[in-house]
Amino acid sequence: MDVDIIFKIAAIGILTAIIGQILKQTGKDEIATIATLAGLIIVLIMVLNLVGDLFTTLRTIFNF
Amino acid sequence: MEVIFKIIAIGLVTCLATMIIRPVRSDFAVIIAIVGGLIILFMVVNYLSSVFDTLQNIIGLTGLNSGLYTLLLKIIGVGYLVEFTAGICSDTGNSSLGDKVLLGGKIIILVMALPIITNILQIIMELMPS
Repeated sequence: MDVDIIFKIAAIGILTAIIGQILKQTGKDEIATIATLAGLIIVLIMVLNLVGDLFTTLRTIFNF
Repeated sequence: MEVIFKIIAIGLVTCLATMIIRPVRSDFAVIIAIVGGLIILFMVVNYLSSVFDTLQNIIGLTGLNSGLYTLLLKIIGVGYLVEFTAGICSDTGNSSLGDKVLLGGKIIILVMALPIITNILQIIMELMPS
């Protein structure tokens, strides 16, 4: 378990914010919304993997 | 025990990352906080298992029913998980939802503990002279 994932999520956040800003400036509002949404979904999938790992580990430790 | 330095460092890094990202994207700040908490939990969970192994050895020496011990373990697990989830809920601003998760955990723990209570009551009834 590494700290890398925190920096990864922060980087994805900054990146999607910049991409969204650029797309909004060029007048492509729909694509900006989709890009923002895609970033959020990628991060959510990463977090879901982590939560699933935690739950399986706890289940083995606590004999559920 | 040098893991505690790692945990402190991860806490500080998570705080800084959330502070930096909050003005840019506030929804990501919450996710970073959750992930930081998860990583800290992952680091501690292995120590918890060694503690439980030791406890299991002690229980084996006393000759008590091991079913009681596993039940106790499950109750502790439910408590930890519920606490963690309630913390996330109140971090994201839904503190009432966190309270409901806590209430659910309490009720589940009560339901799990009911067989023990009935056992104790039965033993007391047997001991009492009729």
